[in-house]
Amino acid sequence: MKRCAGPLKFLVVEDEPLISMDIEMMIADAGHQVIGTAATLDEVQAMSQEQELNVALVDLHLARGSSGFDVSDHIQMRWPGAIIVFVTANPSEIPEDFGGAHGVIAKPFSSAGFVSAMQYLKEGICDPPPVSPQPGSFVASKAFAASWGAN
Amino acid sequence: MDERKDWHLTDALHHEQGRGDPFAAAVRATRMPMIITDPKLPDNPIVFANEAFQKLTGYDREEILGRNCRLLQGAETDPDAINAIRTAIADGGDIEIDLLNYRKDGSAFWNALYLSPVRDDTGDIQFFFASQLDVTARIDAQSRIARQKRHVEQQVEKRTADLQSALDAQKLLLHEVDHRVKNNMTMIGSILRLQLREVSDEDSAHQMRAMMSRIDALATVHRRLYQSDDVTRFDIGAYAVNLAGDLVRAVTDRDIGLVTDVRRAEIPAGQAAVLGLIVNEILTNCVRHAFAVGDEGHISIFARAEESRVLLSIADNGMGSTRRDQPAAGLGGIIIERLSKQAGTQVTWQTDASGTRADLTIKSEVT
Repeated sequence: MKRCAGPLKFLVVEDEPLISMDIEMMIADAGHQVIGTAATLDEVQAMSQEQELNVALVDLHLARGSSGFDVSDHIQMRWPGAIIVFVTANPSEIPEDFGGAHGVIAKPFSSAGFVSAMQYLKEGICDPPPVSPQPGSFVASKAFAASWGAN
Repeated sequence: MDERKDWHLTDALHHEQGRGDPFAAAVRATRMPMIITDPKLPDNPIVFANEAFQKLTGYDREEILGRNCRLLQGAETDPDAINAIRTAIADGGDIEIDLLNYRKDGSAFWNALYLSPVRDDTGDIQFFFASQLDVTARIDAQSRIARQKRHVEQQVEKRTADLQSALDAQKLLLHEVDHRVKNNMTMIGSILRLQLREVSDEDSAHQMRAMMSRIDALATVHRRLYQSDDVTRFDIGAYAVNLAGDLVRAVTDRDIGLVTDVRRAEIPAGQAAVLGLIVNEILTNCVRHAFAVGDEGHISIFARAEESRVLLSIADNGMGSTRRDQPAAGLGGIIIERLSKQAGTQVTWQTDASGTRADLTIKSEVT
């Protein structure tokens, strides 16, 4: 079942500007669209209500003491259909249920690892279940597989 | 001391058994302090106290007779012990107890008291008989041992707490350093990728991609470090599979599969970066040079831990060539050759029409 009409709409929540830029460009390379970037929870909250969102990539340790878990909670409230993927150097801090989020890409990621994670995400969102095997760079939570049955 | 009274007392004591009882004489003469009280008289007074008792307590017989035993009690005597004795007397039972008593001069001693009723033929209690023993030395030794034990225990507790907090601090530090290294590695990767976008000529881009690949290999090492319970070990087989997966997925113009036969194959964490780079060169070599554009093929990875070494084999079923029976040329070759020496690792190459294979024998213990 094909679900995605156009490119996927991404939000990047990352407080390191260079890493954020790099991620934005890799998302664009994969044919998707970055609709916003944020370095804190406030900036995510300040985003337009109207904005459509498919995938949020969220760092855990954000600027000014913001936590990626709070960002994840906020996104789940505001964009209930969005897929949330943590991008973090501390994957061990993530609870077993991922706090409702859908997966994690551990830092430091390699170029190839990030690209294959993007591919797997796209397959899981647009045409589930994914045909590619789950790459080593991406660990999905139960919520990701659960989202395949939705809609 | 009034000997006549002694005799009188002995008479009084054994009035039912008759005079001159040898047992009474023994009680009088024994080194064991002994007293007899008469519960039929008001306040159960002492009616007999032998020589040894007088010596122990410092009281003369005249000062003792007619008094209740509580004259031996003092400030530090345990009220529970006194209650236990009272209960035994009231119940007509016997009791054996250590209690703190005081001499006439006020000095304290530990008294191992044994008290029991003496009954007549009809079973009525005639007297209470009590023997005392100065056990101050024993109690002191016990309490000294108990004190020392407490002291040692406190020391052990304190040291354990110190060690625990040092360990916690170390864990926190490792976690913090690990986090920073990972973040910095991520940033290095991002900077390189961003830089690569600015490069216009193909040769520079090729060079930067090679650099990128090596940085990515190191990133993969750091991502996988400290993941197991034992932070001092690194599973080189699992790493090779992870990296190979990334590499084959990244090539789109060839269809390369992975065949893995990998068991736990751990090396010291200190060798992880060096061996991670070597494995990256070998795998990159397979992916780039073993297969032509449009080819299908596979790379197989085999890993085993033996007694003090790890065996890691990386093979492809692509084109073998005489050129490929040795490490690749350029920096890749140098990395494999020089770093394998550093890591105590032997690399041997085999190549023929069925493909190329690199066998690594890695020392898995730090020597």
